[in-house]
Amino acid sequence: MSASLQHIRDEAWQAFEARGLPTTRDEDWKYTDISRIQALLGDQWWQSAATEPCDAASFVIAKLDAYRVVIVNGHFDAQASDLPASVSVKSLAAMIQDEPEQVSELITYRDDAFLSNGIVAANSALASDGACICVPDNTRLDKPIHILNVNSGGTTHLRTGIHIGKQAQAEIIEHFAGNHNNSGLTTAVTAIRLLEGARIEHYRLQMEAPKQCHLGRVEITQQRDSSCTLHATEIGGMISRADVVVRLQQAGASCTLNGLFVAANRQHIDHHTRIDHNAPHCTSRENYRAVLDGRSHGVFNGKIVVAEGAIKTDSAQNNANLLLSQHAEIDTKPELEIYNDDVKCAHGVTVGQLDQNQLFYLKSRGLSDDEARQMLTFAFADEVLAKMSNQAVRRYVEHAAFAKLPNISDLEGMLG
Amino acid sequence: MIKIENLHVSVAGKTILKGINLEIGEGEVHAIMGPNGSGKSTLSNVIAGRDGYEVTQGSITYKGRDLLAMAPEERAWEGVFLAFQYPVEIPGVNNTYLLKAGVNAARRHRGEQELDAMDFMQLVREKAKLVELDQSFLSRGVNEGFSGGEKKRNEIFQMAVLEPSLALLDETDSGLDIDALRIVAKGVNTLRAANRSIIMITHYQRLLDYIQPDVVHVLADGKILKTGDKNLALELEERGYDWVREEAAA
Repeated sequence: MSASLQHIRDEAWQAFEARGLPTTRDEDWKYTDISRIQALLGDQWWQSAATEPCDAASFVIAKLDAYRVVIVNGHFDAQASDLPASVSVKSLAAMIQDEPEQVSELITYRDDAFLSNGIVAANSALASDGACICVPDNTRLDKPIHILNVNSGGTTHLRTGIHIGKQAQAEIIEHFAGNHNNSGLTTAVTAIRLLEGARIEHYRLQMEAPKQCHLGRVEITQQRDSSCTLHATEIGGMISRADVVVRLQQAGASCTLNGLFVAANRQHIDHHTRIDHNAPHCTSRENYRAVLDGRSHGVFNGKIVVAEGAIKTDSAQNNANLLLSQHAEIDTKPELEIYNDDVKCAHGVTVGQLDQNQLFYLKSRGLSDDEARQMLTFAFADEVLAKMSNQAVRRYVEHAAFAKLPNISDLEGMLG
Repeated sequence: MIKIENLHVSVAGKTILKGINLEIGEGEVHAIMGPNGSGKSTLSNVIAGRDGYEVTQGSITYKGRDLLAMAPEERAWEGVFLAFQYPVEIPGVNNTYLLKAGVNAARRHRGEQELDAMDFMQLVREKAKLVELDQSFLSRGVNEGFSGGEKKRNEIFQMAVLEPSLALLDETDSGLDIDALRIVAKGVNTLRAANRSIIMITHYQRLLDYIQPDVVHVLADGKILKTGDKNLALELEERGYDWVREEAAA
């Protein structure tokens, strides 16, 4: 490891040691208490190892024709992976070994977030592996890349770097999965950099096992006229949090964030998003929905910051929440900071139950109460999933999301 | 087909219907007219089974059974259909999927084989023509982004697909321009049948120019004040409702 990379990681470790995990006294973590993670995994929670093997093959997405990067319990599995020839895809561990000078750039170790956030600091210091993807200028990836991170519990720190060159285009599916009954923690930090005119459609599928905790962060930096669509779905895990930070750095950049959480039982799902409009003529669209059942708890915080020079900003944010149980809870907070007058910013939040008029309408057409509820719940959530252009991924997520809600029996029928 | 006896209904503690008596035979078309707030929509909602309406007295017998004991969906399976005054938009629920689920639920209830996708699509296309509903509406969300007239046409289209025994048209004519009214009326007329009864609830005599009723009732102050033939509607158009009230009070 080069001295500079080692130095950065040491610094991150010190930052982590100094800060520890955020607590509910931090405004940003007010609703998400992760002290339980420590209670579950013990004092050395950041290095609690998985003890069981796991089978990545069972998490393959049906009908998805894609390249595959498979990471099992925090380590790249070359055998299970299928990498493209035209585009550089490497494992982080290999890069740390062979090209350490490239690492800090690709996965934005230069970013100072790790100094202020204990989790990113721990991840920066400890990340064992992850996918490093460089799509060269003017290249269009012929198939999506499916980054499959599977675990059998324990703690893993994953770091992913995605660089899309000028006028290049890619579709990437970042998928976190497990099927076990162990406690554990996944920290996953993903840095996405889009150069001029670059385009990405990025899927983030959090489908961890029921007792796994998941703390994720996606940092997206966009140059002129680049376009990013992020589909962030949070379905699995016990305590889960994802921070999405988008920086629109140059004119004409646009981003769309489509988020869906589906939570049941005692699941806790938190999404914090921040979009920085730092340049004129940028567009952002944000549509997050939550379906909460049982005693689950959802948190949505959507911050949009429009800088002084970012004139002609066009931004719209919507957050809609459906509570299926009287014990489910959502804390939602849009935050707009606008430092110039020449902008168009809209935002809206709704929290509600299924609409009685809609229910009656469906029943008057012969649907049973259960069927009518299913159909409306499905319709509510699917409005977000319908924006996925990859139909194989969409179907996969639909099945995972609705398998956990009661009374969804004939999903196939509903999907037609 | 349906017999309503001494029906008293209250909503949130307020009595709206105060002893309705009404009997509609097979194949008959009845119009119920009345001023605003007379209880017309309450009557159709009670028949369709909407929550929030408390029947304090009286009964509704439908095909010899106690209608009020049936859940809304069961009423639908048994052939009761309400064309809503204000059809609700349900984004994300596909119009055709809803109808297929409805038709097949009723068929299961009757012990019949469910329709497969092909047969169903054929049925739906045929019925869509009846109300001149563009095919593109079939794959859209229920009433999603439909204009007022399109929503009403969609209701009659649903009626055509579900083939009810008793159809309640709750102010289906309100808000329609003449062309849309003509299309809707044509659809309803095509659906008149010896084994199908229709109740039209309306403010306006205009509708009855297009769909000729067998019987006209005046509903005011929660009661049927007068019953007659289609000439009664013309008289109401000319003289308003007050004379009916006075006559009833006398």
